Amino acid sequence: MLAVQERLRGARGVPYNIGMRSFPVRRNTLVLGAVLLLLAIFGWAGWANWEYRQQAAERQLALERAAHPDIQVPTMAGTASPSVTALEGKPAPPFTLEKLDGTKVSLASLRGKAVLVNFWATWCAPCKIETPWIIELQNKYASQGLEVVGISTEGEDLKADDTAGWAKQKASIADAVKQLKIPYTVLINGDSLSDQYGGLDALPTSFYIDRKGTIVASQEGLTGEADMEAKIQKALKE
Amino acid sequence: MKKSVIRVGRFRLAAGLAAGFAVVAAAWCALGQNRSLMTVTPVTYLYPEQVTVPAGRASALTLHFQIAQGLHINSHTPSDDYLIATTLTFPAGSGVRLVNADYPPGSDLTLAMDPKTHLSVYTGEFAINAQIVAQAGNHLVEGQLRYQACDGSQCLPPKTIPVAIDVIGR
Repeated sequence: MLAVQERLRGARGVPYNIGMRSFPVRRNTLVLGAVLLLLAIFGWAGWANWEYRQQAAERQLALERAAHPDIQVPTMAGTASPSVTALEGKPAPPFTLEKLDGTKVSLASLRGKAVLVNFWATWCAPCKIETPWIIELQNKYASQGLEVVGISTEGEDLKADDTAGWAKQKASIADAVKQLKIPYTVLINGDSLSDQYGGLDALPTSFYIDRKGTIVASQEGLTGEADMEAKIQKALKE
Repeated sequence: MKKSVIRVGRFRLAAGLAAGFAVVAAAWCALGQNRSLMTVTPVTYLYPEQVTVPAGRASALTLHFQIAQGLHINSHTPSDDYLIATTLTFPAGSGVRLVNADYPPGSDLTLAMDPKTHLSVYTGEFAINAQIVAQAGNHLVEGQLRYQACDGSQCLPPKTIPVAIDVIGR
């Protein structure tokens, strides 16, 4: 009975005690706090609603074109898709691909070095932005055992027997290598590795491989030279 | 004037505030996870699905497309030779000939990580003004739009989508 009376008095603004320890709070402060919290929740709810409607519109578009294969797009810049990050901590899938002059290069031949495998394409503007960073990092860390391998994914829409098409692609890759002054190894037909390397749905995609052949980091999209350098250092250390 | 004061249990107040923030934070995180797994179709053909034109004479046809939010595609006249231009084609022998296609001018886009590079792109909705000549009869034309899409930091492989139109020549 006494407790009920105390609660009623408290509701009228008279100090009251609940529990073993208590401290005073001004009614105005409490009301202001509650109002601010409510405003924050309303603001968040509005933003969440807007986001939800955007997503619903995009889902609708995707449904309308369900007859055509969709591509999963990592929309958060620099955030690699799950199929790419899933390779971290695992042995790098082996490969043997040709250079532009026809010489074959295998990943196994680079064992003992830290390897940056950079998937790119001539039509990919962000790839061209990061190429000078890669050149700079190659020059900086080559003496510590870094090897950069650029793998072009050109020709994904060409048939294997399209000789003229492949020759044209090779010429455009050679032209890009010359224009960008790429000093590191460039291999072709990277699209043949898409299944092993997480789909390669978006470019640029890079994998950082340590000296034992394990993928220690990955990257999808432009993340900046500093991020690439940190990942190279990780590959060199492990 | 005496100010009114309420005495509130310290633990109850702390627990109440913590619970409130936890609810908001959990909802925020759930929303974020949803967003990163988004699947989008870069370009969608909108309309028209059917047109009727005079047979044997050049007729105007405007084709509308929608680009997914956050993506852009190169315009028909990209800023560099190595970039893949957006191009519309009609197959030969379909009964409808694409005489000419007027593409909209691209918008200038600069990527945040390289302000020096300027790209000519389409975003949102765009339309191609075509001139076609249809033979008499009903023709289901499977046109094609080739494009290459990117967002601010990464690119998707070039893609060709069907542009299906039922053209009736009378």
